[in-house]
Amino acid sequence: MAYDAVSVDGIRYLLPELVLISGILALFVITNLGDAKIRLPLTRLRIPALLGGNRFKWNSDPRLPGVISVFTFILAIAMLIQSLGGDSCNDLVEKFCAETTILTTTGNNPVDLLKLDSFSRLFELMFFLALLLVSAASINRLQADSNPSNDDLDQLLDNRRQVDFHLLLLISGLGMTIVAMSMNLFVLFVGLELASLPIYVMVAFHKESKAGTEAGVKYFITGAVSSAIGLYGMSLLYLWSGSLQLSVLEATWAAMATPETLPLFGISLLLVGFGFKISAVPFHFVAPDAYSGASSPVAALLATASKTLGFIGLMRILMIITLPETGDTAVWMLAFGILSVVTMTWGNLAALGSENPKRMLAYSSVAHAGYMMAALVAVAAWKNGSFVENNNGGVMAIELIIGAIIFHLFVLISFKIGAFMVISHLETEDEVTDMSSLHGLAKREPIIATSMFVFMLALAGVPPLAGFMSKFLMVTGIVQVASADVLTNAEIDLIPTFLGMHWTFFLAISIFINSAISLYYYLRVGVLMFFEESTTRLPLPKVSILRFVILLCALATVFFGINSDWLIESAIEAASTLFSNS
Amino acid sequence: MAENKLNDGMYVIGGLFIAIAALMFLSPISLMEDDWVTLPLIGLPILGSLLLMGFSSAVPAWRKESISETIKYASLGISLIVLTITSLMMTDILMNVHWANITFNQYVYEVEYNWIESIGAEWHVGIDGLSMPMVWLTALLVPVTIITTWNEKKPWYYHPLLILMGGCLIGVFVALDFFMFYVFWELTLVPMFFLILNWGGKERKYAAQKFFIYTFSASILMLLGIITLYLLQDPSTANSSITGRSFDMHEMIKTAQQEVILGNIWLGAGTQKLLFVLFMLGFLVKLPVVPFHTWLPDAHVQAPTGGSMLLAGVMLKMGGYGMFRIPISMFPHAVVEFQMLLMIIGMISLFYGAWVCLGQTNLKRMVAYSSVSHMGIILLGIASLQPLGFAGAIFMMFAHGLISPMLFGVAGAFKHHYHTLEIGSMRGMAKHSPWLGGNMMFSWMASLGLPLLAGFVAEVAVLVALWFEFGWWVIIPGITLAITAAYYLWSMQRTIFEGGENTQPPESLGDEKPKDIYLTEKIGLMSLAILIVIFGIFPFIFFEMMSGYSSELIESVLLDEISGRWG
Repeated sequence: MAYDAVSVDGIRYLLPELVLISGILALFVITNLGDAKIRLPLTRLRIPALLGGNRFKWNSDPRLPGVISVFTFILAIAMLIQSLGGDSCNDLVEKFCAETTILTTTGNNPVDLLKLDSFSRLFELMFFLALLLVSAASINRLQADSNPSNDDLDQLLDNRRQVDFHLLLLISGLGMTIVAMSMNLFVLFVGLELASLPIYVMVAFHKESKAGTEAGVKYFITGAVSSAIGLYGMSLLYLWSGSLQLSVLEATWAAMATPETLPLFGISLLLVGFGFKISAVPFHFVAPDAYSGASSPVAALLATASKTLGFIGLMRILMIITLPETGDTAVWMLAFGILSVVTMTWGNLAALGSENPKRMLAYSSVAHAGYMMAALVAVAAWKNGSFVENNNGGVMAIELIIGAIIFHLFVLISFKIGAFMVISHLETEDEVTDMSSLHGLAKREPIIATSMFVFMLALAGVPPLAGFMSKFLMVTGIVQVASADVLTNAEIDLIPTFLGMHWTFFLAISIFINSAISLYYYLRVGVLMFFEESTTRLPLPKVSILRFVILLCALATVFFGINSDWLIESAIEAASTLFSNS
Repeated sequence: MAENKLNDGMYVIGGLFIAIAALMFLSPISLMEDDWVTLPLIGLPILGSLLLMGFSSAVPAWRKESISETIKYASLGISLIVLTITSLMMTDILMNVHWANITFNQYVYEVEYNWIESIGAEWHVGIDGLSMPMVWLTALLVPVTIITTWNEKKPWYYHPLLILMGGCLIGVFVALDFFMFYVFWELTLVPMFFLILNWGGKERKYAAQKFFIYTFSASILMLLGIITLYLLQDPSTANSSITGRSFDMHEMIKTAQQEVILGNIWLGAGTQKLLFVLFMLGFLVKLPVVPFHTWLPDAHVQAPTGGSMLLAGVMLKMGGYGMFRIPISMFPHAVVEFQMLLMIIGMISLFYGAWVCLGQTNLKRMVAYSSVSHMGIILLGIASLQPLGFAGAIFMMFAHGLISPMLFGVAGAFKHHYHTLEIGSMRGMAKHSPWLGGNMMFSWMASLGLPLLAGFVAEVAVLVALWFEFGWWVIIPGITLAITAAYYLWSMQRTIFEGGENTQPPESLGDEKPKDIYLTEKIGLMSLAILIVIFGIFPFIFFEMMSGYSSELIESVLLDEISGRWG
């Protein structure tokens, strides 16, 4: 179905986004309410004007903005779920399923702007969940200065800071949903920038600390440069095809007889832009600085939602450029494959040596980007190759792989955010700059330490946790692509069987080798928590909301590992809508 | 005080969360008629231990001592329940079973539940002549370990971890679904990691990480094999699965068997070999055999007594069990192709393990290398491709599962009472602590294969099979058995006896008077000793079902390949 984007018909499909916008307005208005009154002329009647005057006690509470944004996100998720369903979705309970709806511009030559389907809805859900957890965890954070007092002015300043922070969070969420829905490179870019600019600010939000400011500046400059490069790539693509519409680009690409320089160059520039977002090598240098400089919830956002943005972009581009007719794109594939191996290896090796837990998590995030890039390469290889599809009724390998990536991005929200939340909880006590903050955590906080260990094992991919499931699905897809030609041939012997594998098989092997390497530093966290003696045995300061978020994440990590039916089916469903062009 | 109460509340909520998570784990599974495996054997220990640990973590540190007895008895109770149920399973009380007459790929107490439908993973459990001894061994060793190490530090976590370990191990032995098998295979690492980490020796940090990473890397190769095998299934077998495939081990073995009957090589020769290599690498590291054994001495020396007992007693057997269950049952062609290689690895492992033992001065390290040596016998039994050899290998797994816990129990008691593990640091232990000396001597005798003790039966069976298959090669194991006797007798002489009137306690004891072992240690070790004697004199209690399984396996899968080779 196609609707005009600004008509009543069209806009009712954007209820979650409208909720976000009203949340932004609510944050503006509610926190500025005051006790000013207007006297009606010629009477003694004074009517509360609400705007102006002194603020009330309740709306200068520093926790209010956080509460507002939490409720906004909850409401947005409710709207999202309410908007699901449709004629084609009769098994809504089992899958996260939405009818495909396209929103266009008016006029004689309508341009498709946004597409709402299972793919975009699932990603929106991911973004909202991540932002919800981050905003919930930030309710009690970000005090204006380190000496807490009950001074009204201090409270008000805290409140102002919190308003700024949660406002940025909401705006960023709006940008993210636009990226998830975009059908058009231009809309995608607008959404990407709308999501990124607030994140740059949030990284630098700790203006008291030098590290935070430095991280923010670094992150902003590199981010802006890579955005500019990506934009240049887009302009080249526009020059070449005359449109930024994804469907038009796809058709034009497929119609090419031989690969032309202009679009290839444009695409590679575009890849630079997204490569920065997912912190792939060689654009990963700024990631550890940004993660360690930012506050932990913001770092969690960088590692999940911001990375997801990059992967949406990559998946979209992949759909354009890897159609079977394109001929010789193998060089590009090989380069991307090598880059993915370098990324995961570099990330893991750097994480081995890092003494700062946040830098370690940042490098681990780089490594995870490498795994997902490897999976994307396998998709490209499949679409590019001449494999015989031997699948009576089963899903195609590429759908499985894309589904696995979506699954991984989804469950990252549980264990990556969980891990950052544990660090956030440690930060309520003292700044976390090296591993010694984790020492003896098991004796002080057994539940928190156990959850942290669960997150670490999930990151390493130990069954039956969610991280294992995603890695398992990814490798299954890659092996399916790689072995399609060889294993069915009964004639050949062991060594030829091995050598006859498509080269993507070695991506699967390198994922495995890297999982083994990464186990060392993930286990080390466990060893430090359960083995080392800490200087104190007192429990951490009591922050109920953080504890709740951590427990929730741990529960979700276990749950999606052992009962992942729903998520797997939804991710595959989303992947298949990515492939369908309607 | 209010602060404390709130914190306790948090912990209780956390415990509840864990309990709910564990319940979700079992949500598709209700205790149905005749399902004696899922909840009683796996669910009870795992859930029980999670609840016990959650309960202990909710108790503040200063009150933990007061609950330790409760936790100990609760753990012992749970493990005894499991032991009772497994023992009943062996008899025909629960179900009319003739263990020796089960045909190949037929399972008793078999149940199937949907688990992760979308990828075709099921909760599929069943027991046959191969897994029954292993399950019983696990169920037996957990209470024995609990009793032997009754006085371990921090019992409120230690004993629940032991039963958790037991539950995970039983899960490995009863799984008939590759996904479930792999999940439990890896899950066993976690409790063992903590056992080594929290209760181990000086280098425990290093040992625990090495153990985890080494074995995890190996099983990753096995995972690659599982995935490849999964993808090779006909994509129209499982309708509810999105890939159309399933992880059902039972079905795959059946297909492999049918292909054998038709005279084909299932999946093709090259693929079979590739899969065989991938699976075997995972199992050989776990077993372990010589090029891959380096994790074992470190893990054993650093692990606490109870950890070592379960590690040597059951965890190593996972490797042998896996070999029978997967590569041998599914890839007969590859097994026959790789027969010589397996034999050579087995020989090297057997000989090298024993040879290295001669030079060891650390008691636990010596026992660990003797384990490597004995695992070589298992591999030799497999390589013989004879029913007797297979049965001998399985009986070796069982017998070594009784003997090695006793060896490590004795070594742990020695460490506990004499504060040293050096062989030859003292003379005349038999005089100072007759119980310890007697048990040590008995366990060493059992390990070197004294007739009428369990180990002897297995060794003889394997050697006879080896003679049938390889002829004079049997000299190498023969010599090795002599070396085994040599290192044990030499150590015995240097530690237990000698010294005459002026025996010298080790220096590490300082001014302490040498003590004998505790009552609990006596009970644990003596029960193992009695069982070793019983199974030495009446091996047929288990040997019958093992040889029944072995001959069925050879007949239904391997016979064509073997006879085809000689025309």
